[in-house]
Amino acid sequence: MNNPAREAILSSIRSHLVASVRFDRQELPQVNLENPVILSKEGSTPRPLPEWFAQRLESVDGRCIIAKTATDIADALSRIITDLKAQRIAISDNPEAERLLHLTDLEIEELGIAPNASDIFRFDVGITTAQAAIAETGTLVLDSTYERHRLVSLVPPVHIAIVAASRICETLGDALTLLRTGPEISPAVTFITGPSRTADIELTLAIGVHGPQELYVIINGSS
Amino acid sequence: MKVSLFVTCLVDQLWTSIGVSSVAVLRRAGCEVEFDQRQTCCAQPAYNTGYLDEARQVARRFIGIFEESRADAIVSPSGSCTAMVRHYPQLFAGDPEWLLRAQSVAARTHELSSFLVRVLKKEDVGASWQGRLTWHDACHGLRDLNLKSEPRTLIRNVRGSEFVELDHADACCGFGGTFSVKYPEISVAILDQKIDAIERAGVQAVVSGDASCLMQIGGRLSRKGSRVQVMHLAELLASDSRG
Amino acid sequence: MNHLSSETFRENARAALGDVHLRGALKNATSLFGERRKAAAASLPNWEDLRTQARAIKDEVLSHLDRYLVEFVHNAENRGAKIHWARDAAEANSIICGLAIGTKARIVVKSKSMTTEETHLNDALEAAGMQVVETDLGEYIIQLAGEPPSHIIAPAIHKTRAQVAELFTAELGMPPTDDVAQLTSTARATLRDRFAAADVGISGVNFAIAETGTIVIIENEGNIRLTTSVPRMHIAVMGIEKVIPRFAELDVFLKLLPRSGTGQRLTTYQSFITGTKRQATDEGPEELHIVLLDNGRSRMLAHPVTRQSLACIRCGACLNACPVYQQVGGHAYGSVYQGPIGAVITPQLMGIEKTAQLPYASSLCGACREVCPVKIDIPRLLLHLRGEITPRKGGVSERLAFKLWAKVMMSPALYKLSSRAGRLLQRVVPISRAWTNGRDLRPLESKSFHELWSNE
Repeated sequence: MNNPAREAILSSIRSHLVASVRFDRQELPQVNLENPVILSKEGSTPRPLPEWFAQRLESVDGRCIIAKTATDIADALSRIITDLKAQRIAISDNPEAERLLHLTDLEIEELGIAPNASDIFRFDVGITTAQAAIAETGTLVLDSTYERHRLVSLVPPVHIAIVAASRICETLGDALTLLRTGPEISPAVTFITGPSRTADIELTLAIGVHGPQELYVIINGSS
Repeated sequence: MKVSLFVTCLVDQLWTSIGVSSVAVLRRAGCEVEFDQRQTCCAQPAYNTGYLDEARQVARRFIGIFEESRADAIVSPSGSCTAMVRHYPQLFAGDPEWLLRAQSVAARTHELSSFLVRVLKKEDVGASWQGRLTWHDACHGLRDLNLKSEPRTLIRNVRGSEFVELDHADACCGFGGTFSVKYPEISVAILDQKIDAIERAGVQAVVSGDASCLMQIGGRLSRKGSRVQVMHLAELLASDSRG
Repeated sequence: MNHLSSETFRENARAALGDVHLRGALKNATSLFGERRKAAAASLPNWEDLRTQARAIKDEVLSHLDRYLVEFVHNAENRGAKIHWARDAAEANSIICGLAIGTKARIVVKSKSMTTEETHLNDALEAAGMQVVETDLGEYIIQLAGEPPSHIIAPAIHKTRAQVAELFTAELGMPPTDDVAQLTSTARATLRDRFAAADVGISGVNFAIAETGTIVIIENEGNIRLTTSVPRMHIAVMGIEKVIPRFAELDVFLKLLPRSGTGQRLTTYQSFITGTKRQATDEGPEELHIVLLDNGRSRMLAHPVTRQSLACIRCGACLNACPVYQQVGGHAYGSVYQGPIGAVITPQLMGIEKTAQLPYASSLCGACREVCPVKIDIPRLLLHLRGEITPRKGGVSERLAFKLWAKVMMSPALYKLSSRAGRLLQRVVPISRAWTNGRDLRPLESKSFHELWSNE
């Protein structure tokens, strides 16, 4: 394709790099990229990943419940939704989310399954699962290839996420590696670390801006 | 150990006691001190203001003079001037002959406190001074020459003195060479943060390793009628109970 | 919008120094950000190694930028993204307006993008008849106020909460309150329906991964996620220097950027977007357009000292550390890029005609270099630029003064003579008020050290 802007920019890059060569020779040698630094982790004492995740998430104002059985999960869901007095619940298209919600036996006014953009704004709570989590940062990994949860995890003021304990990896680097398994990377992956926040007014922290104001993560410890 | 003193034009013209004290301290530390009368300036003012041709002219002269010295080291009571000499290779990057000569002189040039502690391994030069004092980290010395512990070590060994760490000791005093007169209001606004910290520290003197910082800080302290003295590290180290 | 100009930096700075509110806000913000950054950096034992690694990655990309850009474009296009190349600001704006008009857009939501402020995109979109809504809270505030941003990370830090409250009451009819939580929920509620109604979402890009064609955008508020998933068209605008080679290298940058910018371990959200959705029924925009902006960046590649300007990851740490920025704030620079990094890239992007003051407005203290996560040697860059600007813009009297200075310094006889002359003249010739307005000046010694030594 003949694109004059593309050609002009690439040619400008090339010619300026060429012009730089004689000055480059005078500079000190740079670090050799072939010997990558081994990146150590912050706090290298090994500890159970779910507990570590919970601690990190709570330090950024998220809430975490570690559940051992499906009943525990349902109880936790039930408690949260009742306390919130939530009536309109949106869930992702993962059948797990619907199954767990039914286990709670709650009476709700409206249930939306992965509502689209014109409908999603009226829901009080969004429930999704997460494909993975990162212990060292308290982060959820949502991969859109596997679940329709992009809007459900974002628009309602409360987000409840369920993640299997076995899917919690230790580090950010591990999660990035995970995203590369498979033929191609997903069109949309989101990392979520706590509820939305800002400090734009006088550097005073305010929780709950455009994304959810509350984030609950239920760790499914049952196998 | 034979040392060639690079006294700096600022000390030469405006603060000779720094030069005199530096000589006294070096001698007390067991060095023989020579002074090449041909020296003038390291070219920092021209380099910092962007007059590179003039800077190179004057730098070549500096290199020419000091490379002739048989001394073991070239020592200066100024972090910024020492840093300038250490940057000479950048000035001559495109000139292989002068680059080599610049590198050679740069490698032999030391700031005073660094020379005492790192080279001579002398942390106590027998100084004494009564009173409460604090230290201001001059930027080039701190960030270009990594001088942080050396001056503090030397000061802590001054008998009779009480050393207090300044709040934000490593914050710039606002001098910055021609910056101080090109943007004087900003320079003074930055300076006043330093002055506030000095006043809060409740000291009799503030010590630093660069005459330029001392001029900046001292000039404001005296304008404000403060009784706090400014002192160069060399002057402090040269003092003893005999005055 | 009332933009100050970099041409009047000195006057801008003077005005800023007289603004008590501003100075208080700056002091709080920069010291808080600075403390948080320091603590966050200290929490990683290999912080210095990370900086070295990040700089090495950037150096690798920049010295082969054409190759990595082509790789990024190839992979992004394979996944359905449409790539647009913009040589300059006008071309970028024209492309983006064309896309918006082409999709019959009326409402455009934007998340924070320095690059679009650089091109003054909002003005162009509004001239083309669009309603443009800034959704980042800080950007929203300054949009309402009609002001430019004053900090790369926190665009509205120059505003007190009382000023924000007044603004919201006047512009949004909000009942008066001083409570930050209330102010924030007002903004949230007001902007919600803009997201729902928007036709186009425009974002910036933090990192563009050559290996996969992925764009990565990080945030705390959630407005980027909304901007990039609700409207049917997403336009991502990026400077050509944003590319990094491999996906795994994000680990290094995601450790450095949040800590350097706000002292956070990680910001709340990271969006990794690779092309368009696989099926029409999937969530997300129908179209993804990525605009690659040059606007003077490729010129910076021509020298290793200037090339490092392009390593910047826009964290804002240098602003918080800079004694000049701490006193005068961002508006004085008259540019969307402020503080130390602004002082070096603004003249390079915009040309030195109107920006010549900026590289001289620094004491060269080096605090910026110390905190830069990618180890940009800003003082060296400043000196490099001074070396280029002075020959072209140095005033006649200054040039003469330094020629004279050089002659004096080259000759011991002249040096001695001028020192004697100085001692005589200092009593008669008034010393520059620039010094003496605020500071006393030591008189010249009656005997120089040279003279003392000869008398010894």
